[in-house]
Amino acid sequence: MKYLFKFPDIGEGLTEGKIFKWYVEKGQDVKAGDPLVEMETDKVVADIPSPKSGTVIKTYGNIGDTVQVGSVIIELEIAGVDGEAAQAVAQEKPAGKTEHQVEEKNFGVVGTIESAGEGAYLPSSNEGLQSMPETGAPAPRKVLSTPVARAMAKDRGLDINQIKGTGPAGRVTKKDVEQHRGAGAIFAASHKAPLPDFHPTTLIEAVPLTQMRKTIAKNMLLSKQSTAHMSVMDEVEVGELVALRDKYKAKYAEQGIKLSYLPFIIRAAILSLKLHPVLNAELDMENEQIVYKKYYNIGIAVDTPEGLIVPVIKHAESKSVIELANELADLSARAQERKLTLEELRTGSFTITSYGSIGGYFGVPVINYPQVAILGIGRLSEKPIVRDGQIVIGKMLPISMSVDHRIVDGAEVARFMNDFLGFLKDPLTMFLE
Amino acid sequence: MKYDVVIIGAGPAGYVAAIRAGQAGLKTLVIEKRYTGGMCLNWGCIPTKALLESAKFYHRIKSAASFGVNGIRTEELSFDWEQARQRAMSIRDRLVKGIEYLWKKHAVQVITGEAIIHSAHEVEVNRQIINTEHVIIATGSKPERLTIDTKVPVFELEGMMQMHSVPSRPLVYGNGPVAWEMFNFFSLTDSQPVWLIPRSPVLPGLDDYANDFVLKRTRKEKQNVIYDKQWTLKGKTLSVGDSKYEIDGIVNCSLRQAVLPPMDETPVLEEGFIKVDEDFRTSIADIYAIGDVNGISNLAHVASAQGLYVINRILGVQPEHLTGIYPINIYSEPEIAQVGKTEQQLKKSGIDYQVSEYNLLANGKALIEGNAEGVLRVLSETKYKQVLGVLIIAPDATDMIAEATAIMELEGTAYEIAHIIHAHPTVSEVFMEAGLVAIDQPLHK
Repeated sequence: MKYLFKFPDIGEGLTEGKIFKWYVEKGQDVKAGDPLVEMETDKVVADIPSPKSGTVIKTYGNIGDTVQVGSVIIELEIAGVDGEAAQAVAQEKPAGKTEHQVEEKNFGVVGTIESAGEGAYLPSSNEGLQSMPETGAPAPRKVLSTPVARAMAKDRGLDINQIKGTGPAGRVTKKDVEQHRGAGAIFAASHKAPLPDFHPTTLIEAVPLTQMRKTIAKNMLLSKQSTAHMSVMDEVEVGELVALRDKYKAKYAEQGIKLSYLPFIIRAAILSLKLHPVLNAELDMENEQIVYKKYYNIGIAVDTPEGLIVPVIKHAESKSVIELANELADLSARAQERKLTLEELRTGSFTITSYGSIGGYFGVPVINYPQVAILGIGRLSEKPIVRDGQIVIGKMLPISMSVDHRIVDGAEVARFMNDFLGFLKDPLTMFLE
Repeated sequence: MKYDVVIIGAGPAGYVAAIRAGQAGLKTLVIEKRYTGGMCLNWGCIPTKALLESAKFYHRIKSAASFGVNGIRTEELSFDWEQARQRAMSIRDRLVKGIEYLWKKHAVQVITGEAIIHSAHEVEVNRQIINTEHVIIATGSKPERLTIDTKVPVFELEGMMQMHSVPSRPLVYGNGPVAWEMFNFFSLTDSQPVWLIPRSPVLPGLDDYANDFVLKRTRKEKQNVIYDKQWTLKGKTLSVGDSKYEIDGIVNCSLRQAVLPPMDETPVLEEGFIKVDEDFRTSIADIYAIGDVNGISNLAHVASAQGLYVINRILGVQPEHLTGIYPINIYSEPEIAQVGKTEQQLKKSGIDYQVSEYNLLANGKALIEGNAEGVLRVLSETKYKQVLGVLIIAPDATDMIAEATAIMELEGTAYEIAHIIHAHPTVSEVFMEAGLVAIDQPLHK
């Protein structure tokens, strides 16, 4: 039997990926679970495992080709069964040439699609109909919409389910699609601005955006357009924290653990978030409510050559400073190699960006929407300060913070900062409670 | 006693508004000078269509033998105006009773008399002062008075519906659907009408295609149509170049003017009509104007829609704004119906559009009915093929246009038209065929 394997929906709203590396070639035997292809998606480079054991008949697409979710990427021969028809289907839909793959029938709704559609697999039994592990993607919600609204949404690459309908019974009309300013519309909208007149010369070079840069651009704009940013800045004398870290740095270095300030900062942040839960919450405008999170999943901004990536330390509240240090090292290293899994990028509740390790004192960080707050840590430096009427040298750590003023007021941020700076100033208090 | 709303005029704008206001529990008063149902019921929509039905019947029965119906002596056929008129009036009476019943049922009060608006809260009728929260002006329109010096009787539809006989060589004066319907009526009933079209276009607001169709058809039938020519009328003789036409009456179907009620303060007017905003409010607070009098449209169904809209506004409900997608119907032989944009409007707006046509000659049901003169044209934009306008010329075009209107209200595209299964045999199949043409999959073509 011939088995057509389609590029599955791996979640996070990804609709396409770029072939990074083929692990297999024609004629090669693969076992279920063996990696077939390495795909560069918006955020990660992910190995796509084979759902079946069999022999590779054909691979679709070359390195660098963009593949839409739902396109056939590989054809396997599974011993003992035959099916010419399967091949026929595969011929119709090779990867890299299937821009409209997500939608095949009329003006179907763009949305989550099954990893293996009808006809992808011609089984002699029911075996194998589910060609990929469960993605956990929610079932698509069907909205009322007019025919031309559906056509228009498809044309603009919008998920019509995400568009608010203003017609009778919430029907999505043409006007709603035209006025929609969701994440997907951002690129379309930006094209409306007059583009600079670039003529190819030796003085400039046009470089196509990577998936990752596109995603970063979308997310940043989405955050700025969806929230009411407000920032506060302060600095704190962290002489005691420096002393504490210096005391144990060497000891842990022997065990291969790099003890930076960041694990302490994470701990201080979590303790302060517990005192000010609205900063670890989310605003649910649709249902007009605030969703408080009882977990503290801390996203850490990591600079990589391809761009910013934000892995998440899950349940950071239950981890010791040393455990945090270990996990930070691991996530950061794998982020550099883009070996993180999608799961490790999800469900953050609060984010810390520690740009000071590169440079900069104060900054205005962009909230990692839909979170409501982000903490920016600047460069630690020595400055003259006044203590007990004397000018002394202080070890000053600058702190910047952006919050979504829609649900966090200035006074609340100030109180958070007081607690947070207090923990950093007197680090032992972090371990007393 | 203070009313919530006083409605002046009981045509399709006013009487519908009154029913809805009564249903909603508003204390409602209708003041009507003379006619419950207004022009629509008394000399417009209903009576003229009843007359045209008689005329079409008269005309059609002449071909009875070809259908296998013997015994009709066509030479003995004659058209009985008085009987046709009385039939029309009996339909009118029945419908008027219906309105009066509904008013009573919903506690709408009625006063016959001429209203004088002193303010938004004070209306005088029959020397009695009425207090109210809101005033709705729904006084309609009438044709511009004809200033031609002539010896023949000049009448309008209102007067014609009172007459016990009509001229046999009438001059139908005016352009627009009503003039074309009246000319058509006289032609079908073997009168010798002359149609004098004083200005272009023949049918304002309709697609050039419909205008051309009407002119071509009258030319083919060798009918007397004076269009785009110099003319003089002396006594009973209409002279156009070397041709002379003897006439014995003039039906005035001139363009319509607003009928303004007497008011202490006149609201802002625009070309003689009461200017309103998108909620049909006049320049005076709490005074609304709906129907012909605001100059937006002179269609009964649009007037009624405005009436419902305004009552919702008064009730504090923000209604959906009227979409502007409504059919324009002409009950001539064959009927002409149009909804949405005309080809000329699309051209002017710069939209990329396509025209998809299908002729009735290729339609089984039209041939069965012995009435295959006509065409259906779908105008759609080229990108998504959203339907932007439909023109139908067919025996039952005025009913068929409902499908096109529904498709357009729901923002449908040519794909839906093509994919909706239409029963066979029906004339409505031409709609599907035109849809298939639009998506480059013509079937019976």
